[in-house]
Amino acid sequence: MSDDAPPELQPELLDDFYTECDELMGHIRAHLDVLALRLGSPADYREALASLYRSVHSFKGICSIVGLRPAEQLAHAAEEVLRRLSSGESAPTAETFNLIGRSAHRLEQIVACHRLKQPQPEIADLLEPLLAADGRASRPPDATTPSSTESESAAGPPADVSPLVAHSEASLWHATFSPSAELTQRGVNVTSIRERLSVLGTIRSAAPTVRGDGSMSFEFILAVHEPPAAIDAWLADGVVLSPTVPVSDGRGGGGDYNTAGPNFSIAPSHIVRVDLGRLDHLMRIMGEMVIHRSRLEERIAQLPGDRSALQEVNLGLGRSLKELRAAITRVRLVPVAEIFSRLPFVVRDLARETGKKVRLVLEGRETEIDKFLVERLKEPLLHLVRNAVSHGVESPAERVAAGKPEEAILSIRASAVGHAVVIRIRDDGRGIDPRSIALRAAALGIALPETPSAGDILAVLCRPGFSTREEADLTSGRGVGMSVVHTTVRELGGMLSLDSAAGTFTQFTLRLPLTLSIADMVIVIAGAQTCAVPQSFIEEIVQFEEEQVRSVKHVEVIPYRDGVLPLVRLSRVLGTKPRTHVRIPALVISSERGSAALVVDRVVAQREVVVRPMSDPLLHVRGVSGATELGDGRPVLILDAAALTAGVVRPHTAEKSKPWIENAKPAS
Amino acid sequence: MNVTEPYIIFELAGASYGVRSQEVQHIELLEHVTPVPNTAPSVEGVVFSRGNVVPALNLRTRFGLPRAAHTQSTRLIFLKVQQRLVALVVDSAREFRAIPADSIKPVEETLHGIQGNYVKGVATVKDRLVLLLDISAVLDREEIDAAASLTAESPATVPANA
Repeated sequence: MSDDAPPELQPELLDDFYTECDELMGHIRAHLDVLALRLGSPADYREALASLYRSVHSFKGICSIVGLRPAEQLAHAAEEVLRRLSSGESAPTAETFNLIGRSAHRLEQIVACHRLKQPQPEIADLLEPLLAADGRASRPPDATTPSSTESESAAGPPADVSPLVAHSEASLWHATFSPSAELTQRGVNVTSIRERLSVLGTIRSAAPTVRGDGSMSFEFILAVHEPPAAIDAWLADGVVLSPTVPVSDGRGGGGDYNTAGPNFSIAPSHIVRVDLGRLDHLMRIMGEMVIHRSRLEERIAQLPGDRSALQEVNLGLGRSLKELRAAITRVRLVPVAEIFSRLPFVVRDLARETGKKVRLVLEGRETEIDKFLVERLKEPLLHLVRNAVSHGVESPAERVAAGKPEEAILSIRASAVGHAVVIRIRDDGRGIDPRSIALRAAALGIALPETPSAGDILAVLCRPGFSTREEADLTSGRGVGMSVVHTTVRELGGMLSLDSAAGTFTQFTLRLPLTLSIADMVIVIAGAQTCAVPQSFIEEIVQFEEEQVRSVKHVEVIPYRDGVLPLVRLSRVLGTKPRTHVRIPALVISSERGSAALVVDRVVAQREVVVRPMSDPLLHVRGVSGATELGDGRPVLILDAAALTAGVVRPHTAEKSKPWIENAKPAS
Repeated sequence: MNVTEPYIIFELAGASYGVRSQEVQHIELLEHVTPVPNTAPSVEGVVFSRGNVVPALNLRTRFGLPRAAHTQSTRLIFLKVQQRLVALVVDSAREFRAIPADSIKPVEETLHGIQGNYVKGVATVKDRLVLLLDISAVLDREEIDAAASLTAESPATVPANA
């Protein structure tokens, strides 16, 4: 009997299956969260257990339909354990949930392997302890005959668990406060609301959210003993109260935090699941429209006579396209909760393995980011979190000796800042000691300045092959991780930065664009080639004279503000011949790696362009991050400002005191 | 049993080469290639194909053959292999031909030069020898980098790589 899906199964059906699996897995993780972290009251606990049981059961059902036998077997074994837990036949232990958690992870892997048509992982190592936990010689579905009886039950929960509805001693309520000018006038603000809510019950969490439309709201979760009265009065003050448990399954509707009720099994019917590919297609068409409009604009500009009427239409079209772009972008946004949801397990398991005590604080789960970015951020984020636990955090004994509390705090915060999303990973561990980094760097033949900046240290950490651990352990320290994190973030058009104090903390900050595809660029010409520079990296555009250029340690610099800036001549980067000018235009670009003046022949325009990634390995080169077109079908390279600023050696700070700087004219 | 498979046949420095037509997406006239700094010398630059940025690989340079100016007959052959989309710059490409499996012979020892590694077989078509390419080997980045260090042509570089 084959483990593969029956060949007659339609690919569309399989797609549905994968989507369904994702969704169920989201629920399973959310329930496990509640169970393992012991959030909420005993009633919540029972409810979560029952829901978990239902989700695992459904998972088993759909796996059986597509004939994914190992997943079915494993889910079946897990389901049996859960059934006995929820019926009270056996008592829950941390061990059991750990086992269920690992099984859920394995189920996910099996489905992923099935999707990628790769060999599936073994399940025997989990099956045995599950069966042992189940307590009796259990009956996994016979591996040689498909269990057709299981398939029809996929649609609904089994009958024997429904009566687990509980009466609450304390229940979790969800409150959303949306401030408005009118409320502020009446003296109703987030502080007063917080005070009033804290009278009602204990505030478990509070987080500000920026909604899709740019407005702000505050989300509170509070544990109350009695259901709040006068919900209408709260409503009048801009507070929506609902008796829900927040779910981190990441499938929020139009921009709100998903607050499905305690019963997760039915998705609201007004939500449409759309394949990301279709949204990509929509974005592509949108991109083409942007290009057509810029062509139109050029043509209009070339027309003789009065063009105002046409220009008006063109401007209107431009506005509508901008709105359309914003709307499509919004559809693609999902809460970062999708990547946050598995972190508690990772941290808990790793802390247990390494004998450390770590409290994970997640903030801003509801912050939204492009689905495409979320998918690609999973690995880098996991890596940073693993690094924080295994390298950043000290052992409890070390912490106590250093006068710190035994339990370390690892906080991960996502927030929306303008058109970017910032994710901050901070631990209060041992921090990064520049001296030990410098030693390791020297061993690899990399020279660091005497007092390296955080940027210098980060650049070293991100070099392929760099690892501060002598021996590689299983979870981190293989010396490839940080370079992968850096590459991924850069490929996504984002920035990685580091902040650390030895003995106190380490903080990594990922700054990512809200969405890819369309971005604002400054178009420049150098020699025969036209290039685009992302506007987000440009500080200003300056002009200076060739005679202002000085050479410091073989690096060309120009005076800029109180110091100097290294020059990067674009024509030299591109290998084309520059034109000679009296006054030279330059873009002051800056990234986490430093700043530089990018010398060009001409600054042509500021444009909204469609970004096309350069994904082929032949094109993975320094200095270029993608390509775009400006209407003539020819690729125009998008320069990678971070790489350009990192490629130049920063002149030593001591050079600043040389007399010629003081005499030099400031760049205009 | 005699199975035939369709091939696209193209010319390069006087020799005929074949790629499986299954791997060919389309063929275009060569109009404009945007050069990209820091790539291997055989990467002539990038072109657009249906919204994708596609590297254009100059097969002459790739095989260590002398460069030639682009002419009216220069073609871009867009290949899709293992999820990658790459265009080959070739002297000309006109023919589409079904080649029977039994007319394909293994590569003779004497053919093993720089090109030999990328040729998986030789077919005789109308008294003409056609070298059938192993496209994944041709497009392998490590191979390309290795070939680049052999031909030792210096690409443009970002200044002062610290």
